[in-house]
Amino acid sequence: MNQFDEQLAVVCFQPDEEWQHVLILDEPICQKCKAKQCLTFCPSGVFRESTEAKQPLVVLYKQCVECGGCRLICDNIDFSYPKGGYGVTFLEG
Amino acid sequence: MLKHWYQAKKIVESEKKSNIEIDTSNVKKYDVVVVGAGPAGASAAYFMAKQGLDVLLLERGPFPGAKVCGGTSLIAEHTHKLFPNFWDECHCERIVMQQAYWIMTEDSLLSTSFQSLKFTAAPYNRFTVKRRVLYQWLVDKAISAGVTFQCNYKVSEVLFDGSQAIGVQISPPQKKQFFADIIVLADGANSMVAEKSNLVPRVSPQNISLYVKETIFLPANIIEERFQLAYGYGSVIGLMGYPTAGFNGTSSIHTFQDSININVGMTISDFSISGIRPYELLSRIKNHPFIQPLLVGGTIVEYGASVIPEGGYYAIPEIVHPGLMIIGDAASLVNGTHGINLAMWSGFFAAQAAYESKKKRDFSAKKLFLYRTLLDESFVMQDLKANAKIAKLQQDLPYLFDLYSKIANETAFQISKVYTMPKKAKRIFIFKKITSMQPLLKMASDIWKVIKVVRG
Repeated sequence: MNQFDEQLAVVCFQPDEEWQHVLILDEPICQKCKAKQCLTFCPSGVFRESTEAKQPLVVLYKQCVECGGCRLICDNIDFSYPKGGYGVTFLEG
Repeated sequence: MLKHWYQAKKIVESEKKSNIEIDTSNVKKYDVVVVGAGPAGASAAYFMAKQGLDVLLLERGPFPGAKVCGGTSLIAEHTHKLFPNFWDECHCERIVMQQAYWIMTEDSLLSTSFQSLKFTAAPYNRFTVKRRVLYQWLVDKAISAGVTFQCNYKVSEVLFDGSQAIGVQISPPQKKQFFADIIVLADGANSMVAEKSNLVPRVSPQNISLYVKETIFLPANIIEERFQLAYGYGSVIGLMGYPTAGFNGTSSIHTFQDSININVGMTISDFSISGIRPYELLSRIKNHPFIQPLLVGGTIVEYGASVIPEGGYYAIPEIVHPGLMIIGDAASLVNGTHGINLAMWSGFFAAQAAYESKKKRDFSAKKLFLYRTLLDESFVMQDLKANAKIAKLQQDLPYLFDLYSKIANETAFQISKVYTMPKKAKRIFIFKKITSMQPLLKMASDIWKVIKVVRG
């Protein structure tokens, strides 16, 4: 277990199995994108590179901490907050 | 011909109205719907209900404060004026008696610290609080003043009649609509409700900062020992330089009752350009030779990230619209380390405006503009205006925090270091050393720029 997994393991989530709140709008744009700032920017590592050519990015929306920053750095990311009651829960301030 | 044009226009207008499939005739209508139960929203709801308004307060999380994190210090004077003797009601973690700034490089730390017993008696100065506790306390106050509170309700957009805000749409699973004379948006930084309803433009990534935090459990007595605090008292430490790895940004340590909150943040655009992973930046600070001993033996109890608007005065959007007011972080009302007090006061002013509007049955932007006027006349806007140029300065001098932290530490090192060389030679040596890091003229120009900003 690396340090980041340790950090993520203590965060409380109520994932919505039915509905994904972070989406890639257009996959081909990601194929061409060289910067892929989402990979390093996301504080909870929601965006991961995949080996599949058709779908270059995997979106692990269930571990999103809902800062909403991704939508501001990339127009190809469609972010909205999870439905009421779902998503991350912070307890410790 | 003019008559024809008028009739054609009239039809278009009536069609426009019939487009809205909202039937408000047999639904309960509130005086005010407040979106978001943070310090801004809950305070607004509380003061509105206290003045007899029928208020609905909506929160998307399962409880108030569930969706936001980061070490918090609550400023006593601002809070006390709104909620007299709040320290008797709201559970605060520690009374802050020590405030410090640590200017750091990878191997050095120059600190300025102030502690005083004057801060330890009423009316105090600051408290460290947990967001969940503070927000819940405010919401409980609002509920006992008569506010209807609903959590797990996410507002997707504002409903309009023409340009007049008349209600809110709740996203699935509830899919409900709520109607009110006045809508108050208090949905925090990165306000998507206002943006989706075309009330404000999208925030620029330069004007909003991402903070990551870790809460680390440590027994209360160990915290007091390591930070040299008396029983029950706390400290807030601002860290500069090293923590943000060459960029402008800040980091801080807040002491809670039995945990420490450490966070670091810089603008979203800096994070994305630098390619630094936010959690790695945090780990890097935790491993600093002077931070690591403070945390040793602690267990991580929570990791999190949140955004804070830091564009300052010039980033404040249009906050009064027909039938609608935007308050708190959603209105970009954050001034340096001050956010919660500005949020609560903006809620208070919005409540005054809502009450006046209700009295006159006039919910136009003109009437609600009282909110903006009260803000302008208060410390909220005055202070934001005084610091208005700071955001721009940080963009103009991207090396400001990093370089001057290094210069400060280098100077302190050279002064502290004992040489065999004569004193006079040492002085010249130090001067040359510093001016080799930043030429004298450049330094003078930077200092001048900073002075200009501080003077306003």
